[in-house]
Amino acid sequence: MVNYTFKGGIHINSPHLAEKLVVKQVPPPEQAVLLLQQKVGGEATPCVQIGDKVLTGQVIAKTLGRYSANIHASISGVVSAIEKRLIPHPSGINGICIVIDSDGKDKWIEIGKYDQDFKNYTPDEVIQKIHEAGVIGMGGAGFPTYTKISNVQDVNTLIVNATECEPGIMCDDSLMQEYSSDIIRGTEVLMYACGSYNSIIAIEDDKQEAYQSLLMSNHNDNISIVQIPVKYTSGAEKILIKILLGIEIPSGEFASDHGVLCQNVATVKAIYDAVIYNKPLVSRIVTVTGSAVKEPRNYEVRLGTSFASVVMQSKPNSNPHNIRIGGMMMGVDVPSVQYPICKITNCIFVNNIKPKSSVQSCIRCGQCNKVCPVGLLPQQLFWYAKSENIDRAMDYNLKDCFECRCCDVVCPSHIPLVKYFSFAKALHSKQTIERQKTDMARERFEFKEYRIERNKTERTDMMAKKKEELKNKMAEDKAQKDKILQAIVRVERSKKG
Amino acid sequence: MIKMFDSTSQMMRQVIYALILGIGATYFFLGWGIIMQIILAMIVAIVVESVFLKIRKLPIKHAISDGSAALTGILLAISIPSIAPWWIVVIGVSFAIIFGKQLYGGLGSNPFNPAMLGYAFLLISYPLQMSTWAIEFVNFGQAFDVIFNINHNPMIDALSGATRLDDVKNQLALGKIMSELNAYSVAQSWVNIGFLLGGLYLLARRVIFWQIPTAFLSGIILTAFLLSMVDSENYLPVQNHLMLGGTMLGVFFIATDPVSASTTPKGRLIYGFLIGILIVVIRTFGGYPDGIAFAILLVNITVPLIDYYTQPKVFGK
Ligand code: SF4
Ligand code: SF4
Repeated sequence: MVNYTFKGGIHINSPHLAEKLVVKQVPPPEQAVLLLQQKVGGEATPCVQIGDKVLTGQVIAKTLGRYSANIHASISGVVSAIEKRLIPHPSGINGICIVIDSDGKDKWIEIGKYDQDFKNYTPDEVIQKIHEAGVIGMGGAGFPTYTKISNVQDVNTLIVNATECEPGIMCDDSLMQEYSSDIIRGTEVLMYACGSYNSIIAIEDDKQEAYQSLLMSNHNDNISIVQIPVKYTSGAEKILIKILLGIEIPSGEFASDHGVLCQNVATVKAIYDAVIYNKPLVSRIVTVTGSAVKEPRNYEVRLGTSFASVVMQSKPNSNPHNIRIGGMMMGVDVPSVQYPICKITNCIFVNNIKPKSSVQSCIRCGQCNKVCPVGLLPQQLFWYAKSENIDRAMDYNLKDCFECRCCDVVCPSHIPLVKYFSFAKALHSKQTIERQKTDMARERFEFKEYRIERNKTERTDMMAKKKEELKNKMAEDKAQKDKILQAIVRVERSKKG
Repeated sequence: MIKMFDSTSQMMRQVIYALILGIGATYFFLGWGIIMQIILAMIVAIVVESVFLKIRKLPIKHAISDGSAALTGILLAISIPSIAPWWIVVIGVSFAIIFGKQLYGGLGSNPFNPAMLGYAFLLISYPLQMSTWAIEFVNFGQAFDVIFNINHNPMIDALSGATRLDDVKNQLALGKIMSELNAYSVAQSWVNIGFLLGGLYLLARRVIFWQIPTAFLSGIILTAFLLSMVDSENYLPVQNHLMLGGTMLGVFFIATDPVSASTTPKGRLIYGFLIGILIVVIRTFGGYPDGIAFAILLVNITVPLIDYYTQPKVFGK
């Protein structure tokens, strides 16, 4: 059992569980649309051209720098387009995608020689393999795994995050039930790669089957499998570290600063595939659930398959839907199902559109600050965000809010608090930039003033000097003249005399 | 923790339910007056609020349905003497809604507790009507007569008088000492117990947090205890402070009004404690029969400061 807990958080009953945890395999799609940019970092550079034939698992775009990831063909066929397409983002943004039309064969590329004993590689080689396989954080963060591992020096604890604390998502649960030994092995690979002697796999205590399977597969004394009580936001990285290790990492610092490396359990499985079998990341497990689908379920799908074709298999009803990707709490709403599944797509919620509950005034009842896992006062933040008094909101630690939406959910007045907070944060960064600009402009102005002033004084100094010189010269001249005059007078006198 | 309340109106309703015991006890001892005052106050509150919302061009039904106006009316009606004339309640409630709430921008923006602002206004403007209390059971007809002034019922003078708190204070001022006085009132004790039980219900339902009531009571107990340590013959003992006047109403229903109270956990402790101290001080040294309204209003002023300096510890800091 765990020693620590965290303040706040909420218990939410998952309303629409993916009932059948057996993962349903979805056949490779007719067409795969592969996004070049992940959630963070830049775009990978395409290394194929339109018309090229590609095989499953072939690299089609290469990473540039540390913050992007390789992209591999998820089906075999022909590259039919490299163009901008709508990507799953709340504001309907475009991103460059490589489109592959299937040849129906799903022929894999020759996967090079691999060695099942990962200890025959050096840790650096292991990390390199992870990099080449295009593995990124699959819990939703989307951070390139290779970069995350190589960012930490001296890892003392590796944490495998198997909490899946967002209500409704069940993909990691079935992953653990089906691939428990791969996950244990993947954890060993990771420990080897990052040089950590200990690791903890953290799992919520309502996932008994998954827990048991992991226990059965684990024969390594350095890996402990820990059950933590079900409570939402326990899976947030810093909160989980608090629960497991009792360390509170303040905003501005990272787990890596404390020798902790956190990886999502699905990422660990991808690492296993990459290192042990040289298998690149071309598929993932996705949960489809929500009040509008008849058969909530987990699917293993190739990346680039359209949302629509997966959602159809769960038999959505014909009413208008609300589509949310990621979790029920921290996910984002997207306008439609016309998107490809990406590496970070863990869950698609298809909900019946609910009538909006009417927003009432904040009565400062304090329900919100009771559940805030970070210990903020959402009611005060709201008050200052609403009145656009951003400085005051910053005094109340606005930037520590990680938008978990606990406060939103409990507010009896139905205030969309987090919307106000993200607005206020955006306003703050805008103001900061503007402030910097005006600071710069002011400095420039002040320098100009200074320069003018300096020129002026220099000029007057110079004039004064010149005047002085002139005066001296005149005086000299006069003295000269006087001397001459005196001489003349003397001569005249002597002549007379 | 799960979601406690679906709506603010649900919370307000809980508060209104919790008042029933105390109101029942008042009815049992003092008769029909309180029922009439409450009905009248609720009607006035809702009418005044609607008119104001209309002037401010805000949706009326939506705002009325949060129940806060009705609650303000009820709390004020309970606080004033149950045999006060009808215009007292009309003026008080109107003042509370207009100056205590709407002029600040409506629910949630008011720094002062509206009911207590109305009460304080009445106390200053109409001290006589505000300190004439029923001292026996007043039946329906009598209550109707006296509240609506239909015809002056001479019986009523026999039924009314000062409250026990006032009485004790006057007697002490005349040079009597505590051991010669009766500082106990059966009726008021039961009323206070009624509100105490209602308050415990609110605590159990988590409509209010424990900090304010606990700190408030501690403030009263500590201050009253210190005073009676100094001179037990000249100051009211602790138990009488607790069981006289509007103590329990104030502790559980008025000081806990979240809008005007401190909103941080630590802040609520300070807030409650300050009110507790002030109440005993005002009751003992002030010129008014009870100190609850003034104590709460005074501490309301300090809330922004308390909130700012009692922010909870932020994760990792
Ligand atoms: S829960 Fe809602 S109404 Fe209550 S204090 Fe927080 S923001 Fe205000
Ligand atoms: S969204 Fe922000 S303010 Fe609200 S509970 Fe989460 S961290 Fe706290």
